[in-house]
Amino acid sequence: MENIKTAQVYKQMLKWQLLATISVAVLVFILAKIIGVASPEHAAISALCGGMSAVIGGIAGALIAKSGDKKNNAGAILITMLKAEAVKIFVIALLLFLTFKLYNEHLVPIALILGLAASAILSGAAFFGLDKK
Amino acid sequence: MEAVQFLATIQAYTGIGIGLIIGLGAAGACIGIGIMCASFLEGAARQPEMIPALQGKVFLLLGLIDASFIIGVGLAMMFAFANPLLSVVPH
Repeated sequence: MENIKTAQVYKQMLKWQLLATISVAVLVFILAKIIGVASPEHAAISALCGGMSAVIGGIAGALIAKSGDKKNNAGAILITMLKAEAVKIFVIALLLFLTFKLYNEHLVPIALILGLAASAILSGAAFFGLDKK
Repeated sequence: MEAVQFLATIQAYTGIGIGLIIGLGAAGACIGIGIMCASFLEGAARQPEMIPALQGKVFLLLGLIDASFIIGVGLAMMFAFANPLLSVVPH
């Protein structure tokens, strides 16, 4: 089995997350324009806010996880990974809270959840991209 | 008066729902992470040379396991800050 660099994993993850976020934002913009339930601009911005929360959380987690690259002990690596995951969840929850508090007036909640879900789920798609290489 | 009672009932049940969403989501994510970390440690003990290869994949899968929990947190925040159920209460 080939040795995959951790930095390569983060880059793949980030690429998939950004792609998912932008796709959902465009999709929501078009849907809102066709259906006319919410303002298309605000729906797209809401989707971007949701997706970018997951992206920024992922970057924060990756920065912490990167520090465990030089360790050879499996236990120490695992502790670093769990710390990174805790930081990631905290950052995502904080950014979502700020979005709901500061952008409350024009927020389209369904678009935000869609952007967040697409970004969070598709980060795992990087796994299959790595297997192809 | 009736509207206030409706509002209080909806808010109370929404509070219970938020607790269940976050609590059950966290429980599921923790069980999944526990199983995966145990497998990683077992694999690392059997073949220590595989640790660098597994490290990145462990981080990716941690994110995938946590995705459902993160989505749950987002939904819970939606119900806490922009509850769509409150729109049925007459003004």
